[in-house]
Amino acid sequence: MTSPQSSGPADTRIAREGKSNPIGARLAHAGVWAYLLGVLIVLYLPLIPPIIESLQGSGGAHADWSWSAYSQIGAESVLRSSFATTILIAACVAGLATILGLLAAMAIREFNRPRLVLFLVLLPLFVPGVSLGFSEGMWFQAIGIPASFGAVVAVQTVWALPFSTLIILTVMSGFDPTLLDAAYVCGADRMRALWHVELPLIWPGLFGGGLFALILSVNETLRTSVVQGSLNTVATYIWSTYKSVGLNASIYALMSCIIVFTISMLLLVTVALAIVERRRASPVR
Amino acid sequence: MAIKRIAGKIGGRAALLAPLAFIVVFLIAPLAFAFVMSFWKRVGFQVRPGFSLKAYASFIHGPQHVILYHSLWMAAAATLVSLVIAYAAAYLAAFRLRRSATRVILFMFAAPFFINYIIRDFAWTDLLGRNGPVNEALQWVGLIHEPLSWLMYSDFSVMLGLVASYMPFMVFPIWLALVGIDQRLVEAATMLGARPWKAFVMVTLPLSMPGVFAAVIFGFVGSFGADAVATVMGGTGYQLAGNTISSAMNILNYPLAAAISSVVVLSLLVLMGVWYAVFDIRTFLGRLVR
Repeated sequence: MTSPQSSGPADTRIAREGKSNPIGARLAHAGVWAYLLGVLIVLYLPLIPPIIESLQGSGGAHADWSWSAYSQIGAESVLRSSFATTILIAACVAGLATILGLLAAMAIREFNRPRLVLFLVLLPLFVPGVSLGFSEGMWFQAIGIPASFGAVVAVQTVWALPFSTLIILTVMSGFDPTLLDAAYVCGADRMRALWHVELPLIWPGLFGGGLFALILSVNETLRTSVVQGSLNTVATYIWSTYKSVGLNASIYALMSCIIVFTISMLLLVTVALAIVERRRASPVR
Repeated sequence: MAIKRIAGKIGGRAALLAPLAFIVVFLIAPLAFAFVMSFWKRVGFQVRPGFSLKAYASFIHGPQHVILYHSLWMAAAATLVSLVIAYAAAYLAAFRLRRSATRVILFMFAAPFFINYIIRDFAWTDLLGRNGPVNEALQWVGLIHEPLSWLMYSDFSVMLGLVASYMPFMVFPIWLALVGIDQRLVEAATMLGARPWKAFVMVTLPLSMPGVFAAVIFGFVGSFGADAVATVMGGTGYQLAGNTISSAMNILNYPLAAAISSVVVLSLLVLMGVWYAVFDIRTFLGRLVR
């Protein structure tokens, strides 16, 4: 494990280029990559076993490889409905978190106390899942909100809001607010300026924020399991099956679905953010 | 016309308050309610409003106090380990990589965080089990002769689970703080004769503290309240504060669950209060918040 101290001199790139020790520099560079790749390998290792287990079936290590675990998913109605629930909830959470995230980002830009607003919006990121799930479950019971679809959407949106707000805020920080002033001078009202001037320039941020909410919703388990009632998402189904009967091939298949879905969505987010970057590089801002 | 504009302005202002109202109703109010509930009395399987410190007493002095201290210790240790790994990664990403490579590496660090950590914990039980690939590889290389039993269902595995869950995301605040440092300050220190190591300790490290502290809050509170990691990787009977909330909830001991949850949340609020008072959020979110 390389500690930051041993990672070399804290000089700038420019200063480093002036050095005349190509072998040492090359070794240091190799060390940098070795460290980063080492950590990344440990982080990515756990993504492999569920996929292998799902393809090997329940016959142990020497069983034939097959897709049967995946076809079982389609055959069981509980699983099919959990897929449908997951998609519906994720879509609602993505929509709600995007709208609230946009409003929060605008509030941070326009209110007099941006730090306080940011602090409040980022708070859910720091509250552990069980604490939040338990508290929300009790609170909903106390004020008479039944365990339901709406309750799950609310709980997951709280969790997704910091992420969507941060993404939208990042993209909005590259937007020049004088363009809005120009729109107002030309007679546009607030909605019109937002719709015709700002949104066309920041939509990839909204798209990215929404996708992050979608990803978080699909993966969220502990907060959801407290308020879901009789509903089941794929993630909570995995968790409750583990707790009651343990894991099997079709559960591993479900995990693999979540892993593959999440990684492909993350790639989509990077594409959206790359579009923003390219726009920023172009003269029209 | 004027009336319409003023009405529009008030309406717009109200719309901007919506996310804050949402946070108050679905985050602040529930946490406050759980705090109040932690003082309620338990009569049989019922919970009655009242004022009792019984739940806190059992968590701080009583049967559950071992869990409290063990959780605090595990959370502190996991945070420290994560911090060293994350700081090194953030430092290298900020100063030792090309711009394009930095972006890829940061994305690679972010991605696993978004994949359900429960799924990753299940995978670790596979990898570290008695007949898992890690034990087999170690035996094949000849480092050990029989499977290591402490790899799984131990403090080690729980620690690994905690670090793997929260470390990746700790890279970001530190990286943000590091790239925000004016490099001329480091150059000035070097020109005035500071060795690179000293320039790091005297200039870079102190200036990165806002990010480090944010990372510490995230890692510590996350580990302190971790539920699934302790259940899946600690094995039967392994209790940290987080999964004790779940088990108290399962036996309908709501005041106890509320008390433990409130202790976790209060530790969060104290740390955040320190952060808010000591550091300016703008020093590392400067480009986002004007």
